[in-house]
Amino acid sequence: MELLLFILPVFFALSVLVMPQSFVRVYGLLGGLATLVVTIGLICTYNVEGGMHLFISKNWIPQYGLTLNFGYDAVSLMMLVLTSGLVPLILLSNYKNELASNRLFTSMVFFMQLGLIGVFVALDGIWFYIFWEITLIPIYLIAWWFGAPERKAALVKFFIYTFVGSLAMLASIIGIKAFAPSFAYGDLIAATFESKEVAFWLMAGFFLAFAIKVPIFPFHTWQPDTYTKAPMAGTMLLSGIMLKMALYGMIRWMLPLFPEALDCATTPIIVLATIGVVYGAIIAIKQGDMKRLFAFASMSHVGLIAAGIMTASVDAITGSVLQMLNHGLVAVGLFLAVDVIERRLNTRQLSDLGGLAKQAPKFAFWFAALAFVSVSVPFSSGFIGEFMLLKGLYSYDWIIGVVAGTTLILGAVYTFRAYQLSMYGPVKFEGFSDLHWSELLVFAIIIITVVVLGVYPAAVIDFVEPSVKSILELVTTSTPSGL
Amino acid sequence: MEALIVLFASGLISLFAAFAKKPWLVMATAVGGLLLTIALIINQLATGKALLTLNYEGLQFDYISLMYALATTVLTLLMISIGYERFKEHPEHTGEYIGLLIISSTGAFIMFAFTDMFMFFLGLVILSLPIYVMAGSNKKDIRSNESALKYFLTGSFATGIILFGIAWIYGATGSFKLAEIGSAAMSNADNSLMLVGILMILGAFLFKVGAAPFHFWSPDVYEGAPHSVTGFMASVVKLAAFGAFLKMFLWAFGNPELKAFWSPALAVLIIVTLFVGNLSALRQVTLKRLLAYSSISHGGYTLLVILTSGLTSLYDMWFYMTAYGFSMVGIIAVGIAVNDQEDKIESLRGLGQRNPLLTVVAVVSILSLAGIPPTAGFFGKYMVFSAAWSSYWWVVIIALINSAISIYYYLKVLGVMVSKSETPQEKIKLSPLTTIALLVSLVGMLGLAIVTPFII
Repeated sequence: MELLLFILPVFFALSVLVMPQSFVRVYGLLGGLATLVVTIGLICTYNVEGGMHLFISKNWIPQYGLTLNFGYDAVSLMMLVLTSGLVPLILLSNYKNELASNRLFTSMVFFMQLGLIGVFVALDGIWFYIFWEITLIPIYLIAWWFGAPERKAALVKFFIYTFVGSLAMLASIIGIKAFAPSFAYGDLIAATFESKEVAFWLMAGFFLAFAIKVPIFPFHTWQPDTYTKAPMAGTMLLSGIMLKMALYGMIRWMLPLFPEALDCATTPIIVLATIGVVYGAIIAIKQGDMKRLFAFASMSHVGLIAAGIMTASVDAITGSVLQMLNHGLVAVGLFLAVDVIERRLNTRQLSDLGGLAKQAPKFAFWFAALAFVSVSVPFSSGFIGEFMLLKGLYSYDWIIGVVAGTTLILGAVYTFRAYQLSMYGPVKFEGFSDLHWSELLVFAIIIITVVVLGVYPAAVIDFVEPSVKSILELVTTSTPSGL
Repeated sequence: MEALIVLFASGLISLFAAFAKKPWLVMATAVGGLLLTIALIINQLATGKALLTLNYEGLQFDYISLMYALATTVLTLLMISIGYERFKEHPEHTGEYIGLLIISSTGAFIMFAFTDMFMFFLGLVILSLPIYVMAGSNKKDIRSNESALKYFLTGSFATGIILFGIAWIYGATGSFKLAEIGSAAMSNADNSLMLVGILMILGAFLFKVGAAPFHFWSPDVYEGAPHSVTGFMASVVKLAAFGAFLKMFLWAFGNPELKAFWSPALAVLIIVTLFVGNLSALRQVTLKRLLAYSSISHGGYTLLVILTSGLTSLYDMWFYMTAYGFSMVGIIAVGIAVNDQEDKIESLRGLGQRNPLLTVVAVVSILSLAGIPPTAGFFGKYMVFSAAWSSYWWVVIIALINSAISIYYYLKVLGVMVSKSETPQEKIKLSPLTTIALLVSLVGMLGLAIVTPFII
């Protein structure tokens, strides 16, 4: 059954290319749902206390230390369900425009899904790298084909940035291999480095890759441009799922692989991430372009997650998993809201907008709900997630906790500023048609999921916590257990 | 050995088949001969790895040299298949084009299987001479003439230096045989005759593979030669040159004391080659010059294998160069199909609309050249880098930085190919032969890593 996670995306990516045009969007949705069903099946059968569930464990090319190790624990499962849940949502949110009927677009989304799923289940350094890189090609092509007219420079910048990061990670993966018999996760974890310095530099390679993808300040300069120039679906994929790869990579790879280097690397990384939290939020306040605004907002939110992960405490990492789910959903929702406006009015500038609430009450309601959810009001999953993260940061160092905590205030400022300027005030456009059912459905699914998770977060927390604990055991003892 | 004879015979028969002035007859002979060669090699490979040491006094076909021979034959077949459309435009010359390429590939066979310097030199000359002619096969084109003359003059100069180097080695050790040179080198590693000989051979090899600072011929030669000859030079000739390079430096000059003498020089030249190749490629506007500089930089990565000279080196090199050859097939096929006299990269715009299959193969080829997973190019780079890491991690880091530089120009080509063109262009029709060749190279690029556990 686990193999379906690979087979289904490949099958749908290839078969959609020969589907008749009118059937593509329905077929895409079916494909997305099929993988979602498989993922939910895996969640239901997963034994919470069972630790890592390896479903493929073979030698591949022993001469080069390559193995086939694929498996998942609760953290991977959460990421998998996020991926397979967001793919149909993203396809659905484009249901009304011609993108969803485009064979190449749908095919690329499925290839992207394949890469993402691979990243979340790979338990071999090289396979992790392979899937990590596979995601780059579809997102690049999606943005290249369907992005804004002046996209090219931004995309080249994006590709080179992330590719440089990936190569640094490749160097580190090859470097660790010198201390381990193979690239299998267990072997890499068990590797002990000859000195702390070596561990530090190898960790730096991983950190660069993750920091660029997240992005952590000051590696973020590709992000606003790419988010703005990519088509909305590309932005959703980027912010909704793709940057979760990096956060997941920090939890799964960076922390357990280099416990030796953590004591000198943790504080700088947390400080950088916290700077990103405040910096992103402050810049978001000043933005006139809504998409750019939410791009910086996204940077601010994930900075907090990254900082929380680096504290390496059970609560903070559990909270980060919850917050990743929350951020993935909310980001897709917010970018869809921007897209709803842009598709109808051909502008995203706050200065051009106003009074939309009068003409589109349904949209106004759901956008407002999203705005509240994204500033983490109680009874939304963001509240629990950010609370756990901030608690972790506060107990790490109260100053950082306080500084990072300002995100709650700043977040409210930029979100409601965007909402207020676009929805209220004098009516500047006539004939703004209200939500299409597909858009409404996406908003509803997102809000309901987020609220359900906010009311009953234990569903995720209890599910994830044992796995987080066993990952953190690896961090503290640096000897593998349960593998 | 049978494979070598069959290959040479099919080259000769193709030459004579040209008297019928029927291009298809030449092609049929060539394809038949090459397929028979492939079958013979596979038959020998299948008899088992351990049993295979077919020794013929100076030529020894062991497992790995048969693997090299297999790659050579397959790549030759693919290059001839995609070049046939262009060859048959001159029916009276088709036999020469195809026959010479096949004869050149017999030289490549010898360059993997040699066990003494004499055989090596023979192989080198058989490999090179037909290519000097082929580079000038567009007789009416001044660039092609320039290409042939440059290649011939500089190439024969390098061949002379190799010969001179062999003479010095002979003076030091009293033998042409690799094994005897190797054992003699153990006892007198500081013999200056030996060291001078090694330097000469090293320089000439670096010239042949187009490594900086001996690379100046290659952009001009690549640009002037017809597409399929460029492809042949970049794939088969490089495979042969690197194979012989590695074999000689592994067997004859591989003992630690000698290696300590030549490896620092090689390490520095690798770094120079990488930067020269990648930085020069950034500003190229024509496809073949871009390929030439990219080929120089790939030479840099491949030289890392020779620098490492470890347990898996022979296979690393084989894998890297085979993967590189397959990706060359895709790109050269694009060049032939687009058929732009100026050979501008810009003329590839809108390729996706003109022929989807060609574009898919070309995109995978570019990704493979750039070393992006899951293509064979990535696994090749990974093998090379991971083998070199333990003793030369700083060179690997520089090579990775160069990979990052190279992504820019690969991305440029990729972006042009998948973009829509403003003006509608006519569709490209591929001949069945080209289509098959493209599919084979696609399968090769995606499947080479998968079959590795079964062939290593």
